[in-house]
Amino acid sequence: MSLKKQDDYDHSAWIKSKDLSPVETVFLTTLVWLDKRLRIVDYLELLETLYYRSNMQMPKSHTEQYDLDNKFWYWYPLYTLGSFSTIAYVVAAVSGALLGFYYSPSTAAGACNISNASVAYCSIAGIMRDLQFGFMLRSIHRWSAQVMVAAVFLHMLRVYFTGAYKEPRELNWLIGIVLISLTMVFGYTGYLLPWDQLAFWAGQIGVEMSLSIPLAGEWVAQLLFGGFTLSQATLQRMYIIHVFLLPFVVTTLIAIHIGIVWVQGIAEPH
Amino acid sequence: MTDQSSVDADPDPESTGAGGRDVVVPLRLYKTIVVFSTLIAVVSVVLGFTLLDAATLQVSLVRGLVAGALSAVGLAPAEGALSAALAAAGLSTIALGAGVYTLGTRFRTAGMGNAEDGRSDTSE
Repeated sequence: MSLKKQDDYDHSAWIKSKDLSPVETVFLTTLVWLDKRLRIVDYLELLETLYYRSNMQMPKSHTEQYDLDNKFWYWYPLYTLGSFSTIAYVVAAVSGALLGFYYSPSTAAGACNISNASVAYCSIAGIMRDLQFGFMLRSIHRWSAQVMVAAVFLHMLRVYFTGAYKEPRELNWLIGIVLISLTMVFGYTGYLLPWDQLAFWAGQIGVEMSLSIPLAGEWVAQLLFGGFTLSQATLQRMYIIHVFLLPFVVTTLIAIHIGIVWVQGIAEPH
Repeated sequence: MTDQSSVDADPDPESTGAGGRDVVVPLRLYKTIVVFSTLIAVVSVVLGFTLLDAATLQVSLVRGLVAGALSAVGLAPAEGALSAALAAAGLSTIALGAGVYTLGTRFRTAGMGNAEDGRSDTSE
């Protein structure tokens, strides 16, 4: 191995040998100065090397082996929907944790000068009107929730139509079905938290749907809604399901779901 | 081999074509240009918008810091003057970022760019 400096790295000499305008010389000299001190490019090159080394050990994928990429590449964006759902979930979790500092799940009246408004509604009104970036925070939480529901659904369609649920991935498909259901429970319980008219009557529909279940109906209504009519108990249960129960269950299931994909690999198109 | 032939095919590396000036640089230097010009551009644009924010928003943290620093040295500029100065600083920072990025786009390394473009430029 030679100690002689590689030509590629002797930037200053290269700059002198070229016929450059003053602006270009200053530009390049500045960037080379920054590069020599911060070494970001070297670190990026290390990452690049790691990336290619780890990928060289991978077996050829089905698309590579049978040269399907020219036919199939335009479906690849749909293979990002799982990651997209996960990102939306993380964004909702972080923004939700921040909202939790300001929200209070109480149906008691008179916390603010909005007539008939509950403490829950007043705390959300406070977040949106008085809190710095509060309107944005709540919007981020709402939109990430909407995006997650949409992305999870489209992810399921992609898995179904590419046949990715087939052997040996049956278990992960079942976990996925549980996850999409729990995502909707997340959405429903969150929808009730503002305790406005929309939330109240959505809650009423929920109670009546529960009661319509044969045999177990009354028990389910008691368990989920804390009674047959909407009350403080309903809001409190929705709150605990939304911020305590579901986060643990769903986070664990997502971890298992992604872990299985990691172990089994992404299903190849056929 | 391919890199060498593409360099040979380009007789005038510092050419001024339809897409502007074009300078061929070594690969390692090209990486430096891409990484740092992009980084500088991104930071400048974010910083510029923060300054614009400080110019237009009375409760801005940056505005408060600037006003505090000025009053510490005994200066108390009018609100309008401070806004104008911050806005000018913000816009010029954004322009600087855009300029750095644009300057970075004139460099390329061997094997990059479309040789056909250069040929059609010279024939026209």
